[in-house]
Amino acid sequence: MKTDIRFTHRELVEKSKSGDRNSQHQLYGLYVDAMYNVCIRMLDIREDAEDVLQDSFVDAFNNLRHFKYESTFGAWLKRIVINKSINHLKVKRVPIATMEDHEFYLTEEPNEQVEAMDIQKVKTGIAQLPTGYRQIISLYLIEGYDHGEIGEILGITSSTSKSQYHRAKKRLIDIIKTL
Amino acid sequence: MMDNFEKHIRENKALFDEHHVDRDKLWNQIENRLEARKPRIVRLWSSPLVKLAASILLVLGMGTTIGFFAQNPDPYPDGGLANKELLDIDMHYKILVSHQVQLVKNHPNLTESDKAEFLSFIDELDQEYDVLRLEMDKNLDNEIVLEAIVQNYKKRIELIENLLKQINDSKKSNDDYGYTL
Repeated sequence: MKTDIRFTHRELVEKSKSGDRNSQHQLYGLYVDAMYNVCIRMLDIREDAEDVLQDSFVDAFNNLRHFKYESTFGAWLKRIVINKSINHLKVKRVPIATMEDHEFYLTEEPNEQVEAMDIQKVKTGIAQLPTGYRQIISLYLIEGYDHGEIGEILGITSSTSKSQYHRAKKRLIDIIKTL
Repeated sequence: MMDNFEKHIRENKALFDEHHVDRDKLWNQIENRLEARKPRIVRLWSSPLVKLAASILLVLGMGTTIGFFAQNPDPYPDGGLANKELLDIDMHYKILVSHQVQLVKNHPNLTESDKAEFLSFIDELDQEYDVLRLEMDKNLDNEIVLEAIVQNYKKRIELIENLLKQINDSKKSNDDYGYTL
């Protein structure tokens, strides 16, 4: 029988809900690296990433009773990590994605066919992007959110998310071409 | 539609997870904070024991009242001062309970579902009270009925006060609960 993906690690989650420390530790072990990398991509500073990651796990375990398997545990946890990261950036007054001064809508989205590139070059290129561009590229291409979800996360419309993403992608490709 | 560039990145997104954190150190910090927050809110209305205790109290109260009715004819057939006093006290407690229920309704640290659950429990007590009140309207012995009704009110106030106290105690060690998932 096919198991619904949303119930991945269900037993661990249920035991963790009842406060079983060993199960919480096992869940932590399964997700800590992936979530740390999400934090690093959003925040870019190791110390900040560690602080946000710690807060995220503490809040996740303390609010686990609210997790009702509407998504996977990993997706639920990642949303906590992303929200915490955005809040952290707001507190530090780091500009988040929106670049309203340069806002314009492209009548036609660029659809140039770009060949697959060396992933290492992509990583280097992403690291050189301005913070806002780096976040939107990470959220869409690596974290896998759609523009509606990114809009919710960043507090912008999905069309703004779309247009900013295309500008960020164009910048990224330009950078990669110079590498 | 995704182009080759986007597809290539999404297909290889695992390669972007290249950073590693000191797992043990971070877990120790998390565990310390979980320990510190261990004394969590115990929701009174979710405890079967408390529900049982409240039910027993109500049943006892009802039993006492009904038993009294069966054995004692009405000593005040035409109402009078005692009835007025009873109604005044009844009104006093009604206002008290209503005020405290409102506090629970407006409390920012309770979710809508928690409030609904708690209020449904209070509603059950209200229904039991209505039965008591009906019996009182039949002009029974004032002291006994009054005592049963006051006990009913006191129990509700006590339950609400305990709930609010626990929420406030919890709030002292838990000031970062602000987001909704």
